[in-house]
Amino acid sequence: MDVLSPTTPDQLRDAVGWALGSETPLEIIGSGSKRAYGHNVQTNAVLDCSKLSGILFYQPEELVISARAGTPLAEIKAALAEKNQQFHFEPGNFPGLLDASNGPDAGTIGGLVACNIAGPRRIKVGAARDHLLGFEAVSGRAEDFKSGGRVMKNVTGFDLSKLMAGAFGTLGVMHTVTLKVMPNDETSATVIVACSDPRAAGKAMTLAMRSENEVSAAAWIAPEDAPHLDVPLAGEYGSGLVVLRIEGPQPSVAWRADALCRALADFGECHEVPESHSHSIWKVVADVAPFAAADNSDSTLWRVSVPPASGGDICAQLIEKAGGRAMMDWAGGLIWLQVPGSDIPAATVDAIRDIAAAAGGQAVLVRATGELRKITPVFHPENPALARINAKIKENLDPHGILNPGRIAPISQNGEGA
Amino acid sequence: MLRMPEPDQNTLARRKDIIAAMRDIIPSPGGVIVDDDQLRPYECDGLMAYRQLPMIVVLPENTQQVADILKYCHTHKIRVVPRGAGTGLSGGALPMADAITISMMKFNRVLDIDWDNRAAVVQPGVTNLGITRAVEHEGFYYAPDPSSQIACSIGGNIAENSGGVHCLKYGLTTNNVLGVEMVTIEGEILRIGGKGLDQAGYDLLGIITGSEGLLGIVTEVTVRILRKPETARALLLGFNSSEEGGNCVAAIIAAGIIPGGLEMMDAPAIKATEEFVQAGYPLDVEALLLVELDGPQVEVDYLIDRVGKIAKDCGAVYSRISENEEERLLFWSGRKNAFPAIGRISPDYMCMDGTIPRGRLSEVLTGMQNLSKQHGLGVANVFHAGDGNLHPLIMFDANKPGDLEKAEAFGADILKLCVAVGGVLSGEHGIGVEKRDLMGEMFTTDDMKHQERIKMAFDEDQLLNPGKVFPTLHGCGELKTLHAKAVADKFPDIPRF
Repeated sequence: MDVLSPTTPDQLRDAVGWALGSETPLEIIGSGSKRAYGHNVQTNAVLDCSKLSGILFYQPEELVISARAGTPLAEIKAALAEKNQQFHFEPGNFPGLLDASNGPDAGTIGGLVACNIAGPRRIKVGAARDHLLGFEAVSGRAEDFKSGGRVMKNVTGFDLSKLMAGAFGTLGVMHTVTLKVMPNDETSATVIVACSDPRAAGKAMTLAMRSENEVSAAAWIAPEDAPHLDVPLAGEYGSGLVVLRIEGPQPSVAWRADALCRALADFGECHEVPESHSHSIWKVVADVAPFAAADNSDSTLWRVSVPPASGGDICAQLIEKAGGRAMMDWAGGLIWLQVPGSDIPAATVDAIRDIAAAAGGQAVLVRATGELRKITPVFHPENPALARINAKIKENLDPHGILNPGRIAPISQNGEGA
Repeated sequence: MLRMPEPDQNTLARRKDIIAAMRDIIPSPGGVIVDDDQLRPYECDGLMAYRQLPMIVVLPENTQQVADILKYCHTHKIRVVPRGAGTGLSGGALPMADAITISMMKFNRVLDIDWDNRAAVVQPGVTNLGITRAVEHEGFYYAPDPSSQIACSIGGNIAENSGGVHCLKYGLTTNNVLGVEMVTIEGEILRIGGKGLDQAGYDLLGIITGSEGLLGIVTEVTVRILRKPETARALLLGFNSSEEGGNCVAAIIAAGIIPGGLEMMDAPAIKATEEFVQAGYPLDVEALLLVELDGPQVEVDYLIDRVGKIAKDCGAVYSRISENEEERLLFWSGRKNAFPAIGRISPDYMCMDGTIPRGRLSEVLTGMQNLSKQHGLGVANVFHAGDGNLHPLIMFDANKPGDLEKAEAFGADILKLCVAVGGVLSGEHGIGVEKRDLMGEMFTTDDMKHQERIKMAFDEDQLLNPGKVFPTLHGCGELKTLHAKAVADKFPDIPRF
């Protein structure tokens, strides 16, 4: 196994050029923290981008940071924290869902963007794709290309940044990414409502989002997982919890939290959690801590995305059909479903995908054994017409299929994408 | 001078057949326009310096008709120019002599409002403001608000990834669109995105937004609607230099405050607008900031106070806070009328649209004054200060021989300056034909070829809106060929394990 570790963009281009010339497909990794997300890439060579590292510039007053793609996320988060700023899309510890050995800030900035990770605030501000201002990369044609820039308002040429975010490195290997950052809010508060039934929780979150209180995150935790929130009163509730976050200047947060509590009184006992505790609650939600790999060895984790207002109902259906435990984020738009066991019957897989698809959504297999990922597509099957366009995009940017082959769609026996 | 692809004589020779085919697809009277006097209104969009009569204009009424038209065009290799309300400022809807202009303005219905998912499903010809009008009775609105919002269509907003004055806080079109129905040049009807937040496969919605009509024709749009903030108040802040004004913007943001609107005007723009609308702007300042805070009353009052203090520390020599809604709207009336105000003092003006890193503002304004002298034309500046989007308004007289050319050269120099300081050619108007030939200032040939390869995945024959965005259209064969120099047969000299 060859491991190529370029230290400069020029070396990166040379490495891809060699792969192209010698027809050696590459598995592309940063720190490898999300290697178990998607299908196994089986290649004879690994392109390790972790040496393409370092913050190139960070201008807090311009709300922009630019870094080499292999820069550790921990380094970037520390730099932002020092200036009281953050990525507004609030990425949690996604690697911790995949592999117990991943630390709290595992991963690189390039990997984060390539997988388009986003946390609870996505319901209000979008995902990594909405905050990537520009990138520089080497395509599967071994040519440098870039798109976007360092300013947030830009319609100069096609917005390839959107394509690269969430492409899992299959269209190009990014060596530089530039992202928008935002100031931390002056303060935040969390309103919690006792609510064990996912359908009722869905309704409560929908009502909260429809209100004028600018809820920045809305999640539901089932009764058995509620202790993870460590809310002083949670133990006494013995119930599931709807958690709603309000952020902003202090007087505004207090006013809105009160208004929200009043609006939701019909759903159950309602409390306001002070800021000191608010942060740890949202870290639990962003990290999906109840379903972390470390504490859930023999289980399979699904990520189901549906229109938010249908989330409560879909969540209940999933639990009924597939068993296991669930948690909702994005006001119901995201359902984490953990099913016991590592060997799920095909009928259950189909049921999960059918329930998601019937609601206009999709289901992605996040944590699963290599065996299960061999026989089940990790990502929700694409609409055939869109798949044809996606295949052409892939062919045009990576004509010999040397970048992360099979990562998104498994490779079948004859070498064709399944 | 702008060069467009040569008209295809073969297509022109078949015009009669094409008209007949279009009339078969759209039987309603007025659905196919062929007479010169009726084609005339379509000869340009908001970029009026360039005009060309289209071969034919068609006004389809439903998605199937759009699909049938495009299928016909694909089969017969006829070029197509999509058109929304025609308010675009970069010439994205400039017709071609041998192309069918497809006007989407009969797609003017609001189809569904899903309050629980905070989404509105509308046809692409609905105006930007029309969406807000359809949802405001429940206290909602659609956030991106280009200054043409009364007239511009949401379909056109998607084509150009339109912005407005609230982008810093609420994002651009691309951050507020959830899904589209789009017809490909082959006539296939695609549904991309939806009310859920994740979609399978590559982010096609993201690439379609801002693609200037080069990838397909959007026939339905799902957008995010937001709760209207309870209240909004504005501050007018005057400074003795644009540098001080710029520093104040940086200080506001550094304090963690993201205003709903954050606009700046320079002295010539202040003077022109004050003479036009009497918004009460101070005439003895070099830079005027308009800061709008929106949200619950208690938040707005609190932040107004903080911003006022920050401005004082930054050397503001003028400060006025709107005390009621009427006064807030008066503050805005100046900024919103900046373009016609310039139109009043100059026979013609050209509105540019670059974005720069905010910290380079005073440098760019100084550079612009030098260029103004060099080209012998005046310039006034309005600036979306929060997001760095600059709108220099170049004043000229199109009836004076050579003036238009001078204005164009001046504009090109301004955009080159924007790129030189780390900015971009267009913040929200798009490239179209206006800035097409400047793309090389920002992108290498390889950069552009990679963009064209996306185009090729949607429209291999390059029938959709040719001559726009890309200065040179590379053939498909050329785009597919691998670069010999990129392909290395030798193992590279890089660290390996």
